[in-house]
Amino acid sequence: MKCTVCNYNSSSMDYADLGGHFIDMASESDADHIMWLNRFITKSKTGRQDLANMLREFFELNESGLKRWIINRFVSNFFSEPPHLFIGAMQSPERKVLLGYVVEHHHFLKQWIKSCAYVIAKTDNEDVQMYEMENIMAEMHGFGSKTPSHHELLLRMGESLGLPRETVLMSEPLPATRKAIELWGNLSRNSHWIEIMAAMHSLELIATRGLEKYGAKYSYFDPAIFQRSDIPNEVKDFLREGYDADASHSDEALNLIEKYSDEYGDIQAIQATFIRSMVAFDSYLNARLERGEQYENEL
Amino acid sequence: MKTNYEGCALCDATWGEYWREIEGQNMFFCCNICADAYENMIGEVKKKTGWEELDYVEITGNYRLGRTCRATKGDSEYKYFFRHENGNITQFEER
Repeated sequence: MKCTVCNYNSSSMDYADLGGHFIDMASESDADHIMWLNRFITKSKTGRQDLANMLREFFELNESGLKRWIINRFVSNFFSEPPHLFIGAMQSPERKVLLGYVVEHHHFLKQWIKSCAYVIAKTDNEDVQMYEMENIMAEMHGFGSKTPSHHELLLRMGESLGLPRETVLMSEPLPATRKAIELWGNLSRNSHWIEIMAAMHSLELIATRGLEKYGAKYSYFDPAIFQRSDIPNEVKDFLREGYDADASHSDEALNLIEKYSDEYGDIQAIQATFIRSMVAFDSYLNARLERGEQYENEL
Repeated sequence: MKTNYEGCALCDATWGEYWREIEGQNMFFCCNICADAYENMIGEVKKKTGWEELDYVEITGNYRLGRTCRATKGDSEYKYFFRHENGNITQFEER
């Protein structure tokens, strides 16, 4: 079983083994493992068998399957009440929030295409390869001058808000973004392609419409923003692109993950890798806010 | 200095076994990050209020959403909100 926090991976399929690992790490006061237990399982110190039962319940797929499990976990983390702070800020985004979005997301996208490329390199399934190639093109290359990449639209959004693209391109990521990028790089180098897909494309759920049917109390942003005259067109263009694209991106990817998950066999590893990525993404979204605060008085 | 938590002074978890002396008191934390955040938060309160020590700190909230707090010194009270990353205060506001 794989750990949701570190590279621990035992051949045992017994949750007591994973529970034992968490108890060992907690007894060493390891902050990352304790934070994960506090957040997802319990803040109360428990014994190995009780923790094993709680972990089994956490990973339980029941009849709705892996795709639904991933969506439920994601929705619960970002779109429940109260929402993630960045989601809250995006309901009526201030300029500083969008500026933070531009800079940190630039670094995210640079890693994104590398992870997609790892998937292509690690599989022979053409439907997966085609999916990833289209994704790389849409995110970073674009399809000619009339259909610029998501990255280009991001830079234009920044420029419309007074943030020169050179500033973005020359920037260094904030620590939380850097840590997340390092994780995604490591996962991409060392994990099976289906785990990489689960780690990366699940994140596109952030902009997916229609998550209300899975219990979401919020959407990524209020679509009323498209009618606002005080919002530059470049901002609307960027948000609209993600709004349109990620709805199909995440759904198609989750379908591919589910399609090949039985063939791969280790469902718990897919789940653990997804959770690890989601937690990093959570911190990365906070970095967007942190960057916005920094820029508030500078630009 | 008293707190409202029986577990970790910052997050109330009972995992871990990390002790640190803060304000002359040996306090339990689940990890060093919580201890850093708590110590930095107390320093920030002292800076803002001018108090040399605190009698009581009450905390609600969590890492993700930030923490709303109330500190007292004698009859004086100070309410605030803070967030941290890796124990460093990233947001601190009087409320």
